[in-house]
Amino acid sequence: MPLALYCAERGLSVVVIEKNASWGRGQNRAAIGGIRATHSDPAKIRICQESIRIVSGLEAERGIDVEWRAGGYLFVAYDERRESAFRDLLAIQKEAGLGIDWIGPERVAELCPGIRKDGLRGGTFSPGDGYASPLMTSTAFHRLARAAGAEFRFGETVVAMKAEGGRVVSVRTDAGEYAAGAVVNAAGSDAAELGGLLDLDLPVHPDCHEAGVTEPCERFMEPMLVDIRPDEESGNYYFYQTTTGQVVFCITPKPQIWGKDTDATSSFLPLVSRRMTELYPRLKNLKVRRTWRGMYPMTPDGLPIVGYPREYSNLLLAVGMCGQGFMLGPGLGKILASAIVDGPGVAPQLFEELSLYRKFEGMELLK
Amino acid sequence: MNRITSHPVIDQRSTNAAAAFSFDGEPLSGYEGEAISSALFANGIKRFSEHRKGAAPQGIFCANGQCSQCNVLVDGIVRKACVTALAAGMDVRTVRGVPALVADDDAAREARVEAIKTEVLVIGGGPSGLAAAAELAERGFDVVLADDKETLGGKLVLQTHKFFGSEEDCYAGTRGYDIAAILEKKVRAFPNVRVLANSPVLAIYKDRKAGVYAGYERYVLVDFQAVIVAAGARERSILFPGNDLPGVYGAGAFQTLVNRDLVKAADRVFVVGSGNVGLIGSYHALQAGIQVAGICEILPKINGYKVHADKIIRMGVPVHLNTTVVSVEGEGKVERITVAEVDEGWRPLLGTARTYEVDTVLIATGLSPCDELYRQALAFGFPAVKAGDAEEIAEASSAMFGGRIAALSLAKLLGRRVEIDREWLDKREVLKSRPGDVIGREPVEPGATWKPVFFCNEEIPCNPCTTVCPTESIRLRPRKGSLLDLPYFEGSDCKGCSACVAACPGLAVSLVRRVGDDRAEARIPFEFDASGLGLGSTLPALDQDGRFVADAELVDKKYYKKHRTWVLTLRARAEDAVRIIGVRVQDEAATRPLPTPRYDYLPDDAIVCRCERISVGEIVGFIKENEIRDVNQLKTIRVGMGACGSKTCSVLLPQIFKKAGVDPKAVAPGTIRPLTLEAALGELAGRIGEAGGLAGDDRVAGDDRVAGDDRGADEVRVAAAEREGGRA
Repeated sequence: MPLALYCAERGLSVVVIEKNASWGRGQNRAAIGGIRATHSDPAKIRICQESIRIVSGLEAERGIDVEWRAGGYLFVAYDERRESAFRDLLAIQKEAGLGIDWIGPERVAELCPGIRKDGLRGGTFSPGDGYASPLMTSTAFHRLARAAGAEFRFGETVVAMKAEGGRVVSVRTDAGEYAAGAVVNAAGSDAAELGGLLDLDLPVHPDCHEAGVTEPCERFMEPMLVDIRPDEESGNYYFYQTTTGQVVFCITPKPQIWGKDTDATSSFLPLVSRRMTELYPRLKNLKVRRTWRGMYPMTPDGLPIVGYPREYSNLLLAVGMCGQGFMLGPGLGKILASAIVDGPGVAPQLFEELSLYRKFEGMELLK
Repeated sequence: MNRITSHPVIDQRSTNAAAAFSFDGEPLSGYEGEAISSALFANGIKRFSEHRKGAAPQGIFCANGQCSQCNVLVDGIVRKACVTALAAGMDVRTVRGVPALVADDDAAREARVEAIKTEVLVIGGGPSGLAAAAELAERGFDVVLADDKETLGGKLVLQTHKFFGSEEDCYAGTRGYDIAAILEKKVRAFPNVRVLANSPVLAIYKDRKAGVYAGYERYVLVDFQAVIVAAGARERSILFPGNDLPGVYGAGAFQTLVNRDLVKAADRVFVVGSGNVGLIGSYHALQAGIQVAGICEILPKINGYKVHADKIIRMGVPVHLNTTVVSVEGEGKVERITVAEVDEGWRPLLGTARTYEVDTVLIATGLSPCDELYRQALAFGFPAVKAGDAEEIAEASSAMFGGRIAALSLAKLLGRRVEIDREWLDKREVLKSRPGDVIGREPVEPGATWKPVFFCNEEIPCNPCTTVCPTESIRLRPRKGSLLDLPYFEGSDCKGCSACVAACPGLAVSLVRRVGDDRAEARIPFEFDASGLGLGSTLPALDQDGRFVADAELVDKKYYKKHRTWVLTLRARAEDAVRIIGVRVQDEAATRPLPTPRYDYLPDDAIVCRCERISVGEIVGFIKENEIRDVNQLKTIRVGMGACGSKTCSVLLPQIFKKAGVDPKAVAPGTIRPLTLEAALGELAGRIGEAGGLAGDDRVAGDDRVAGDDRGADEVRVAAAEREGGRA
């Protein structure tokens, strides 16, 4: 939707085809709301810096409240291994000009009163990062995009795409056929299937994560709190308090659960609540209100795939957001709108780093 | 104290251990173990919280653990007052806005979520769930029955009236709470049924487990093979400005306060809706010594059984048809209601507005089935059946049959060879049928000996009068050929025993006999306290439609203990005596409107989403502005994002879309996700004290309470088969 907005604002005629009944109902609805620029990859850092500028400015510039709050991100360390990993990364992040630093246990406890103190070594804190309501943000982009002239076709599923002479010439849905000068695949967890319609092999495979939200309480913690320590049943988990006072949380299951099943499982709540109350005992009295499960469209190296495939000169890929579509989307949408209008020269480094033809080695450190 | 100390049909609680507690620092007294909401009402407190939006005062709405409007702070933690038991020493406080999280930083206890295994999970222990559990248990199935209340029986527990139906099939003529006790005893006697009382089911998961909130504090995962959802129904909210003022709540909530907990919850109520719930609720109010200013019904016709309506009307309560609520107003609580007649588009004709001074408005505009867990189980492909109100809103009598049928249907799904008796299916249909025709009767001439007069004109499924008659002289006269047929006196052998008078659930049978030339006596049922009525005094006697007949002389009175009903013998002129079937209980002054109406008409201010306090106007505006065609998008403005999980507002949304000019059929439905009720992170982690035990049930707390019960499903089935074999 941000891409639709910025394309429309750049004077392009835009049609958004969405198989769901309305906007943001793919995986955006399942995002918990964090937006951070403090990644380990330069392209992601750049995109998310742009996202933060956009989302944090929605209220002042566009008059739409999306419950943005610069609460910061806090990665906590309870052992030497995590501390040294964070400190190593810190050097790279600072070099990239990010507002992030090491803070001691006292400062951690100030930001998160009640957090377990024994064994706490400190953590990295990036006060410029924050969070917003994915529901309000997507509704804001829909409204703005519509006002800028973008058209939305909800409840339409793409069934075929036609290519001629190295270009995509039309997109057929179950309701009609569309021709466009440029076609963008921003289909999230369905990106690989959509690519398949053009015989493109996109290495995007969704895995599933469950999340939940509590009742509201008076603000007691500021940052998005991330504990990356794995245990036998889970990888990292993270939570923050929304501007409405609710705690939103998510955990990475171990082993990862591949596929598109978004049904609730019985293991999620006992697991995530055990880990959260261990880290933050006072949460034990906070009541869980609702849970959900969404997909992380993963790529082999944890970085998105952005760019034009060799076979189709007018097909732009914006896929494989690896569970970070909400935070990458606004910035990426703005950059890609420029790229469509002015050419890929506007962000050469980004297109190179996130190319479909990179080696997909390693894994992004702060995934 | 607002306690009901004497009631014509309900016994006082057997144990009333006082519990001293405080509300906002003020010392109060309640009863140990009663719902906090009832203890507060008994102390005259109806305002439980101030909403974070506009500090709007909030009170109870459902008193049934569903809606979350009754939240209070208990020792610093937000709890639903209606499902939290009072304990001595509790510090109860008004929730003001968003409360602080208790800074309890004690290291977390060891986490352990219990797991138990069963063949069939029955969700809900009302009439259908209990019947289903008994039927399954008899056939050897291992059953876990989870119910969200401490006392099983569902809404039967609140029903102080005698039941319709037939005596042999569904305890007709017996009062609801007595039926509940009979059914509960029967189910608890089965060794292969484990009862988890006070234990709502929070979710059904993809891996075929249910999350049960045992005792509202322990999270237990129940591994099941099949499920029966008999979770009942919840009361519908309706839209009028002032609909969230403390004092506006469900008629079922009222019955909980008054009938279950014996709290005199109001002085004068107005009832919205003339279905059986509204009619019976009104009657219960009168029995509890609470005035009923009136009942309004938007339809042109009374929606419930005619006998219920007749009963109410002849106690002196008017039913206003074609009438809707314009506004409910007051300073922080209900002080008055304004109603008006409606035009053909259901819009109020403000010229007909009338204002009544009341302290309570009861909503009785229908029920919605609690069938989310059934839909969830089906979506996951589990063997699942629904029963009772969760299947279709109907009488408890039909729910009992429905439960048995559901049990057999499930047994079939599980591969058992069972036949469902055709007769059961027919009976269930009859018991849940809507009233049939209204049929006139020949006038009765009083004779020298007693004979019955029937004020029962509408075909409803009911026959206790025929089964209690010792001479079998009362029979259903075949017309439909079912329980719907009306009873008639066939024969000449009436002993004047009054069994039919005392047993009739509709209070619609009298006996008459001539005494002297132009005088006759009528024996009529009376469900109020008659102990103070002196023989020889005169009483305002009324006819079936509530019209005054005569001041009749009370010549005899007798209390029928089994039916908890007085039978009064009144003497009047012969032509009057045959018309008498009631005595006015309520003074007409209680039903008079103010001389001039007093209200503001602001329909857009009605609250749709109670949890988040979002009005009609806000939602309509948002739908129009953003071209909303998906209920999920309303979450942007927090509709359905509250503690109740959209249970209360979701049923109102279609009319809101209509109001915004959108066809509700073109709108994508909202997504239902766990949990059905909120539960604390510590509880979900299994970090609750070991002392609690499962809902005080010894069998479960004993050897069956094994973390990860390793008794395999096959073993359970073998055990079940053995039991069955043993019986055969």
